[in-house]
Amino acid sequence: MNKLKRFFQDFYLVLVLIFLYAPIAVMMVLSFNSSKSRSQWGGFTTQWYREMFESPVIMEALYNTLIIAFLSALIATILGTAAAIGISSMKKLPRTIFMGINNIPMLNSDIVTGISLMLMFVAFGVSLGFKTILFAHITFNVPYVMTSVLPKLKQTSKYTYEAAMDLGAGPIEAFFKVVFPDILPGVLSGFLMAFTMSLDDFIITHFTKGAGINTLSTLIYSEVRRGIKPSMYALSTVIFVTVLALLLITNFAPSKAQMEAKAAAAAASGKKPNNWGPKLYKAVLVATSFLIVCGISYTTYRHFDNSNSDELYVYNWGEYIDESVIEQFEEETGIKVTYDMFETNEEMYPIIEAGAVQYDVVCPSDYMIQKMRENDLLMELNLENIPNLEYIDQTYLEKSQSFDPQNKYSVPYTWGTVGIIYNTKRLEELGIEPPTKWSDLWDPRYKGEILMQDSVRDAFMVALKMQGHSLNSTDMTELEDAKNLLLDQKPLVQAYVVDQVRDKMLNGEAAVGVIYSGELLYLQEEAELLELDYELKYVIPEEGSNVWIDAWVIPYNAQNKENAEKWIDFLCRPEIALKNFEYITYATPNIGAFEMLDEETQNNKSVFPDDELLESCEVYQYLGTEADDMYSALWKEIKAQ
Amino acid sequence: MSQPLIDLVNISKSFDGELILDDLNLSVKENSFVTLLGPSGCGKSTTLRIIGGFTMPDQGKVIFNGEDITRMPPNKRQLNTVFQKYALFTHMTIAENIAFGLKIKGKSKDYINDKIKYALKLVNLDGYENRSVELLSGGQQQRIAIARAIVNEPKLLLLDEPLGALDLKLRQDMQYELIRLKNELGITFVYVTHDQEEALTMSDTIVVMNQGYIQQMGTPEQIYNEPENAFVADFIGESNIVPGIMLHDELVEIFGAKFACVDKGFGNNTPVDVVIRPEDIDLVEPEKGTLEGVVTHLIFKGVHYEMEVTTPDGFEWLVHSTDMFPVGKKVGIHVDPFDIQIMNKPASEDEEAVGVNE
Repeated sequence: MNKLKRFFQDFYLVLVLIFLYAPIAVMMVLSFNSSKSRSQWGGFTTQWYREMFESPVIMEALYNTLIIAFLSALIATILGTAAAIGISSMKKLPRTIFMGINNIPMLNSDIVTGISLMLMFVAFGVSLGFKTILFAHITFNVPYVMTSVLPKLKQTSKYTYEAAMDLGAGPIEAFFKVVFPDILPGVLSGFLMAFTMSLDDFIITHFTKGAGINTLSTLIYSEVRRGIKPSMYALSTVIFVTVLALLLITNFAPSKAQMEAKAAAAAASGKKPNNWGPKLYKAVLVATSFLIVCGISYTTYRHFDNSNSDELYVYNWGEYIDESVIEQFEEETGIKVTYDMFETNEEMYPIIEAGAVQYDVVCPSDYMIQKMRENDLLMELNLENIPNLEYIDQTYLEKSQSFDPQNKYSVPYTWGTVGIIYNTKRLEELGIEPPTKWSDLWDPRYKGEILMQDSVRDAFMVALKMQGHSLNSTDMTELEDAKNLLLDQKPLVQAYVVDQVRDKMLNGEAAVGVIYSGELLYLQEEAELLELDYELKYVIPEEGSNVWIDAWVIPYNAQNKENAEKWIDFLCRPEIALKNFEYITYATPNIGAFEMLDEETQNNKSVFPDDELLESCEVYQYLGTEADDMYSALWKEIKAQ
Repeated sequence: MSQPLIDLVNISKSFDGELILDDLNLSVKENSFVTLLGPSGCGKSTTLRIIGGFTMPDQGKVIFNGEDITRMPPNKRQLNTVFQKYALFTHMTIAENIAFGLKIKGKSKDYINDKIKYALKLVNLDGYENRSVELLSGGQQQRIAIARAIVNEPKLLLLDEPLGALDLKLRQDMQYELIRLKNELGITFVYVTHDQEEALTMSDTIVVMNQGYIQQMGTPEQIYNEPENAFVADFIGESNIVPGIMLHDELVEIFGAKFACVDKGFGNNTPVDVVIRPEDIDLVEPEKGTLEGVVTHLIFKGVHYEMEVTTPDGFEWLVHSTDMFPVGKKVGIHVDPFDIQIMNKPASEDEEAVGVNE
């Protein structure tokens, strides 16, 4: 019986460790992985940590996170302690009611708190920014401080306060000399708890933050789309370790009883009481506070180091620019850039539409630009301010006309295609010729070897193009056919995935996959670095495919239009475009940059396909809500079966 | 010398609409040891808190040394309190606890150190300066609480059930300590307790309180031997309280039997309450007693036997005696005249509780 119990105890422990800590351990290991891959070990490195500390964006976010955590915890501690004292002296019924009111925000889901706070700020015309995040954090921190202080107050005899008064202390003196030292452990752990909660928070911050301000959590989130940079693993590791340390300090604070017991033992042995326990605790506390203060001062210094009056608010995909380009732009123009990131077009759209945050320049994708244009969310560009537009290849301007008919609103930034990636070795093993057309993905020999994109338009694009239809089709019969085709293919498909295509391909888990060409250069580099014994090749299927374009636009409510045009012009400069190409690895529409590339890259047909092949490729268009619903319904049918 | 040090004049106080003190008047003479005695909820602690300044009376005045201090905050009053649960400052050493009041008053270091030494000596805890408070026993903590109060040289020391949390043996020791301290220091003590034995042992004046009224005030002997009403008689020690008729001076009829007594002035044929302490009842041969009864209960209590004797009218007399009478034995009840205490019957509940301040 006992053995069984032991077994279950151990079993539970192992389960906890696996489920809770294995992912974190993986992340920590990856933060030291010199390969960017999530599944291959490329050797030990501290490069990502260095990159993290050198990145102004990350340091800025760190500054925001720390200062918000510190200030909100401090203010919440003062308010919460005062409130706890007030509540503890109430009669039972009102106290119960107040405790209930206090506890609700803690149980309330973060998203409700976040949205309601945002609505309140917008309703009262408070512009979202640092202030609003701080306010929100104070709001959700106060209850935690109160719950931490109240039990201490309960333990404290009310008579000690009276005794202090009796001995001649005034009310304030009595509080600080007698009551406060008694509840100090509760106040301190309340502070640390609040600090940790603030450090941790994502959802509420996400809703209450404004342009150009990121905390670490929102920064990490905005980087998710193009695959998280390993320096984010490093950052997450640092956050985890920090939070862990804070929690340890809060929870393992030697209890009074232990301290007393030690003192008693010392007294009994005739020695002067030697309370190293509390001393150590104090030392750790002091050290922690010192570290926090240092961190804040350092980041404050970094923060105010480059303050400027002329501004530009940029809203771009995460991981979609070489950060040194921003610095260079700032140095050259004296314009202070506030740089924000989004993860999906759909996430960006409502923020621009609501107008709560006023961005000057945004980089959405083709169909989204069409939607924004149709909804009057864009301003016409003054092309005179963008002389470098001449470097943009006419081909891409023509392609852009499918969403911006007169090229009045947008300037292409990157582009790419969707195609098939395949593992040469795996194909040999299966004895299949390399694929050339979409219909090859219906070859039963590929059973369990196919990775499809987990997105409606991309999945239907494959089937529509294969049938020779437009990928912007809204014809019900065409779509029904496409659906049936996809259903036919489904038994062969290993998985519908988004990001994992590249990891799975690198790992050799599948033979073929549908992938964005932008991932390719990165994948090929990585494959070389890892010395894989197979090649990853890319083909744009003969039937034609999707060509996508991300382009810069200026939203209707931009406050610094001229600066935005300067920005676009700057990015069209060939050497800048080159820099960004090398960083992002997505094809550049910039001829000047293309000409500067080495021959090998220029001839990489996967990245820069022949014009005639490109002819058969189409750009996605915004099809309207009705068609959107139709696509979604059909997609649901496919996924459900 | 016997100036009133503190005067409570017409004090009333209610909490949540419940009257705790009703028009209370109390005067404490300098250098006396006054005990407020009563069951819990009788208002004794509230009275003490009003003197200490922790509770404001709704009505009435607190006069201290001729000065009205009703609205004065506790930290300005020249008195100190020893709290029920000691209320020591646990984050301070013993020396720091004792020095607390002196430091606030800005006394010099030397003065404070001398005082700490002196106070610890006084409470028999020399050498405990640097100990932690929580390592002390209850009795030691109480002594520190007293030391902490008396170093401030108050004119008046308030003690709120200070021995309540101690065990019996310790309580008895501390009673003697307190009396000794009181005599050595020569300050006035106002002491609150619900323990009648404690009150009888230590005080020179006992104030018996019930339901916000003072029931009786007097020396321990007066309170014990001449309770003025049934409540006091019942609360102080054990008593037989029986209805009787005062036939005329010095003769009272109880259950049809005539008892000689020493009380006068109740008029003729007046209904009264008669108090007879259990130890004052002599059990004799049935025919020699004034009343006849049967022993219905017998318990050995060590010092004496406790017996119940039931008389034909059904009343159960509580009797303490060193002689043992077995259950079922017929006995006679005899009481000496000076052991009989006659009280007026209360006309109503209110009258029973009327204050008796002279």
